[in-house]
Parts: sequence; C-alpha cells; structure tokens
Amino acid sequence: MSIRGVTLRIVVFSLLAIFILLPFAQTVLLSVTLTLPRDGYETGSLTLLNFIEVFKRPDLRASIGNSLTYVSLNIVLCLAAGLPAAYAFARYRFTGDRHMLFALLAFRLTPPVVLSLPVFFLFAHFGLINNPVGIALVHCAFNLPIAIWILESFISAVPREYDETCFIDGHSTPSFFFRRLIPAIAPGIGVTVFFCFIFSWVEVVLARILTVTAGKPITMAINALYGFQTDIGLVMAMTVVSLIPGLAMIWFVRNHIARGFVIRT
Amino acid sequence: MNNPYSNRAWWLLLPSLALMGFVAVIPLMAVLNYSFHDVFTVNDAYWIGLEWYAEIIRDPSFWASFGRSALFSAIALGVQVPLGIWLALLLLKMSRFAVPVLMLVALPLVVPWNMIAGMWLTLINPEIGLAGKAMTALGITFDYKFNALHTWLLIVLADTWHWIGLVVILSYAGLSAIPEPYRQAAAIDGASRFAVFRHIELPRISGALSIVILLRFVDSFMIYTEAFSINAGGPQDATSFLSLELAADIGSYTYGRAAARAMLNVLIVLTVAWAFVRIRSSERVR
Repeated sequence: MSIRGVTLRIVVFSLLAIFILLPFAQTVLLSVTLTLPRDGYETGSLTLLNFIEVFKRPDLRASIGNSLTYVSLNIVLCLAAGLPAAYAFARYRFTGDRHMLFALLAFRLTPPVVLSLPVFFLFAHFGLINNPVGIALVHCAFNLPIAIWILESFISAVPREYDETCFIDGHSTPSFFFRRLIPAIAPGIGVTVFFCFIFSWVEVVLARILTVTAGKPITMAINALYGFQTDIGLVMAMTVVSLIPGLAMIWFVRNHIARGFVIRT
Repeated sequence: MNNPYSNRAWWLLLPSLALMGFVAVIPLMAVLNYSFHDVFTVNDAYWIGLEWYAEIIRDPSFWASFGRSALFSAIALGVQVPLGIWLALLLLKMSRFAVPVLMLVALPLVVPWNMIAGMWLTLINPEIGLAGKAMTALGITFDYKFNALHTWLLIVLADTWHWIGLVVILSYAGLSAIPEPYRQAAAIDGASRFAVFRHIELPRISGALSIVILLRFVDSFMIYTEAFSINAGGPQDATSFLSLELAADIGSYTYGRAAARAMLNVLIVLTVAWAFVRIRSSERVR
C-alpha cells in the first residue's frame, strides 16, 4: 500500500468513527447527567441517579423483560422453521422453488404498517394481544425470510457429500440436523440470530399495536417517558440500557460477520 | 448446481408456510378484503368495490407523497449503496481492522428505531446537544422544524447513520468470500482496479447486493418511525411520506381507505421488486 493509500484510509475511517460515535457519545453523556432537579442535587451534575431510576421503576424493568422475551422467542421460531426450509432450498429442486423464494422476498418487503390493522384483529381473536408470544409471531413475517436466505447460503457452502456421509454413518434425520448440520453451520446460525435480533429488538410499529395495556416493549417504555416535562437524562439512560443486549450480540458474532458469506436470490 | 429434483422437499417448508400463512398471508388477504369495503366496524362493512382506490388515485396529495417517498428512496440508495460498497472495498485491504470497523458500523443497527430520531434531535439541540452547541458557536442556524431542506437533510443523515452498517456488512461478507486467486489472476492480466471491481467483484457480490438494495429500497420508501419522530411530516407536508399518510388514515379509523392505501403501497413495492429481480435474472442469462 502506498503512503497516500494509507493516509486516505486513516482519514476515511476516522471520519466514519466520528460520524457513528457522535450520537452515542451524546446519549451516554446525557444519561449520566441530571436533567431534572431532584432533592439535594443540582441539574447538570454528573450522576448515576438516572440508571438507578431505570432499575427502580417497575414499568421500565418489566419492559426490558418483555422485549428480551419476545426477541428470544422470535429467534427460536425463525431458526426452528427456517432451518428445514433453508435445507430444502439448498439441497433440492422442486416445483415452484423459485416462486417460493420470490414469495418470501415479497413478504419481507411488505411494510409492517400495512399488516398492523388485520394483525391486531386476528391476534385479538386468539388472545395474543398484550402477550410477548404475539409480537414474537408477527416479527416472523419479516425475520423468517431473512433467516431462510442466510441459512440457505451457509448450508449451500457445505458440500453435499457431507450429508451423505452422515446418513451412511447411520444418523437419522433429526440426529443429522442437531448433531452434524447445526455444528457445521454454527457461524451461519450466529449471523442469523444477529439479523433476527436487529430487526425484532428495534421494531416499533407492530410491537406498539399489539401491546395495548400490558406487555409493553422497551421502545414503548421509552416513548412513554416523553411528556410535558421530559426527564431527558432518564430517557437517555433507558436508551443506553436498551443498547446493552445489542452490543452483546455484536460482540458474539463479530468474527462471523467478517468471515464472508454470499446470499443468493 | 445439480441438486436432485424432489417434491418431498415441500414437507421441509411446512413449518415456514404455516407460520407465514398465519402472520403474513391471512393478514394481507384481510387488508385486500377491507380495501373493497366501507368499514364502520369489523362486523359492519359495505362492499363498495374499487371506490377507495379511485378516490386515492385521483387525489393529488397521494401523488405528491409518492413523489416525496420515491425521491427519499433515490437519495438514500444513491448515498448509502455506493458509500457502503466503497467502505467495504477499502476495508478489504486492511483485514486486520475489519472486525473492529464492522463492529463499529453495526452499532446503529441495534438502536431502537424510535430512539434514532431521539438521539439525533438531542445531538443538534442548541441547548444540550454537542453538535447543536458547536453550530451555535459557529453561527450556523439549523432549523429542522421550519426549514424543509434542513428536515430532509436531518432525515437523510439519520437514515444513513442508521443503515450504512447493513450495506457495509453485507458487501464485505460478499467481497471477502471471493477467493484471492481471482483477484491475483486479474492483476497478472493487467486489469485496472475498476475493471477488477466491475468484472470480478461485482458479479460475485450481486446476490448480497440485491438483498441490500431491495431492503434499503423498501425501508426507505416506507420510512415511518424516523420521519414521524423528527417532524411528523412537516414543515407543511414537506416530509409527508406514503407511510405517514397511511398511518394518519389508520389513526382516523377510516379502515377501508387505509386498507386501499396499504394495498397500493404493497403493489408499488412489489412491482419494483419484481422488475428488479427480472432485470437481474435476465442479466445473468446474458
């Protein structure tokens, strides 16, 4: 690499880091600042009171639990339904396979706002309102196609002979899936979990419409903090808390997202 | 690929089909059904055929928001896709730093969508924000509430901040899956950097790239959360996108018209996706 090339890269990635990190710096800074006067403390002073408040308020604590519940459930559903489907697309040709891939794409591209109204009536009928199971199910509408694409690309990268050897070794189909296939595509599972997480944890429209009185997700708990006199420090503390599972997720998949995979359409 | 032909593979799709049927197909059919009715309550609806569609299509404000959504999508794709690919290409040459940089650009992807606007508005707030204070000190006025250009700038900036990571990650994943001998062979043949990209790298990442382009297209074309939280469509409807009008219809309980509007949005999105897939597959044949 030439000196010019190195300098260019340093400049570009420093600017990128500033651009990405600036809003986070702002958020963290405000989360440790007292923005509404509380007894004995002046506004503007540095404090951990905002974080203590987050964990003292039962509604905020409950919302963290709710969000974690439906995101985990959604990931489990997407993997359980997505793995066999991805295996079918990776290993077989069948009537209508291309059309199925396009149908999956079409449903991933259907905007959530469009589905919000009937989903509410349908789920009310089955008692899935105010219930994390409802949100976990509805998020499959856009996460399951993603899961199938990513898993398909990882399964395709495993040679067919691998499957055949396993079956000759006497593995039954479930035993092959759990003992051989899943370990072989572990990085793919990690990447899938990451993408399901980032689209489910942060989604607002459907999560809001499906929680009327209870089971509020973290996003709605933050919205509820805005009011006549918003305690912006508390809002930012809650935002920081909401980032922690995402940061953990990035940390777990950091080596897999860099290793390379190809998605086929 | 010489995969065996077997229709028994459909059994493997069964769980996915059941799940998608319940959460996507049935709701979509219900929207289609509402769109032909004047809906007072769910049990009290009158068949009116295509009247809602006719009303919306004749309404100039629908076409105005369609234009705004299309323009926003074009800007978002035009900025984010080339920038993301360029960053991924730069990153490829310094693979030691790939992991930290990918982690960095992934950060905004895990921020709850309603807080993206919250974080940016706080950042540019002249009283408490770092950027806001800096701009005041430099004498720059940034009035996102009443200056349409500034509102647009803020939404594009926040959207790029949010999604650039997706483009970089998927492009990098595709690029780093290309075996090094491909590039070396091209270099021996004396291919320029651009020629290597155009004829070797681009075709091999086109699958990942189409997913990125389609996802970014639909999410920017149907942008709701950020745009609504930043300025609720203002100033004077300058950022009133298709999804904001749809949400307003749902909010005012005109379910029939909301459903017709929703179906029109789905039709637009799917037409573009279908055309895109067709163009891509015809290129592959050639």
